[in-house]
Amino acid sequence: MAKTFGDYVRKRREARRETDDAFSVRQLAQRIGVEPSFLSKVERDEVPPPSEAKVVALARELGEDPDVLLALAGKVSSDLQQAIRKRPELFASLIRELKHMPDHAVLRIVREVRDGKW
Amino acid sequence: MIELRKDQLVFRFPEVHRDAVLRIEFQRTLRIPDDGKNYPLPPGLGRFPVRHVDDFAGRVPPRWVDHGGVMLPMYQSEALWVNFSASYPFAVKVATGKIDAVTGKELRPDLARRPQNYLVTPSQPWLDGYCIEKGVIRQFVAMPLGAGYSAEEQITGEAEWGGLQLTVYPMTAEAYERWRSREARYLTASGMVAGMPMARAALGMDMGLAPGGRMRQEIFADPHHLEDWDQDHTARCFVHLANSLVWRHVTGHEPPTVPPTAKEYAQAGLPWFEYYGAGETAVAGSGILAKLKSVVQMGKEKGDVPVPENETVTPGPIVELRKGLAKDEVREGRF
Repeated sequence: MAKTFGDYVRKRREARRETDDAFSVRQLAQRIGVEPSFLSKVERDEVPPPSEAKVVALARELGEDPDVLLALAGKVSSDLQQAIRKRPELFASLIRELKHMPDHAVLRIVREVRDGKW
Repeated sequence: MIELRKDQLVFRFPEVHRDAVLRIEFQRTLRIPDDGKNYPLPPGLGRFPVRHVDDFAGRVPPRWVDHGGVMLPMYQSEALWVNFSASYPFAVKVATGKIDAVTGKELRPDLARRPQNYLVTPSQPWLDGYCIEKGVIRQFVAMPLGAGYSAEEQITGEAEWGGLQLTVYPMTAEAYERWRSREARYLTASGMVAGMPMARAALGMDMGLAPGGRMRQEIFADPHHLEDWDQDHTARCFVHLANSLVWRHVTGHEPPTVPPTAKEYAQAGLPWFEYYGAGETAVAGSGILAKLKSVVQMGKEKGDVPVPENETVTPGPIVELRKGLAKDEVREGRF
């Protein structure tokens, strides 16, 4: 499994390129608005990951979850930052409480659509 | 579990498989003429806004709160289609007023094969109406519940449920691993164009879906084994249809504008769509649903004018959508 942001992006891009030439470094860089040489350096982890907007654009192009890619880039999306800043103590303790819980238990606290009698 | 995210219902089954995620959204569209002709697929005009009924518990009928689920706004005689997005296979039952939209029979909790009472995603990318003949559906059109037009009222004689009911069954993890090794991934997508305002009249708050004009759309037969579906892990959702005229009062937000008419759309030369699967076979239509009266037919009998216009149109350019594109082929979505 890829451990770094660059490695992950490169592996995902190369996987897409196997069936689609639009996923060359040059073409992908053009679509997200960066220089091909920069994207190439990002993939080799020679430079830090790009800005939040570029990471989100990259996620969209690669069909990846933006939050997953942002986390790999060591970033937290601005809407989440805003939510945490509003109630820092609550969210900090919530995340600490949840960090060892299995996925299905964490998903239980996401607001579900309630089913009733019908 | 079901989440509501950006007007999409997201069904997840992490206990079955981490990839078991299905997104369902409700697309606004134009009402095709109800004139006996078979029309191609109309466009998607963007998602209907969807809200939890619990957030407006004091302002919706108490039985909506009993049903749970979500709600969305529709004008009288407005049409809707249901869009499915998943890379994991699901069996999906779609019912209106608890009448199965594929078989015309009362909604039941299990999956059946003869006749098939469900759709299979991802091969079935969308559903626009009631399956009346092999390869032909009658479009879902909203009418006030209690006015006698809905499929539910025509079949059961009662206006008890209204709305639209979804039940989702994921494929078992074992069957998925087998399927994945032989099937390429396929995704659906849809875009949007702006709607145009137009005044319409409507009755009560609760809407039901009724059969409208005829459209070419195949409901694909299930290519899997019945035991490939995990009937121990299901999720279901009641989607209430609120009359758009009361949506603002209930939610404090404006409903979407009325979509363009088929005539306005066709005159503008905008595209219609035909979808071709990759060798799938279609199920036969339901004899029960085929006997239902369309909204216009029922209106004539009642001496009502349930739809503001119903002129025959000649669809403009038709975009062909195909499953399983060749390498380098650009995929075009339905928009």
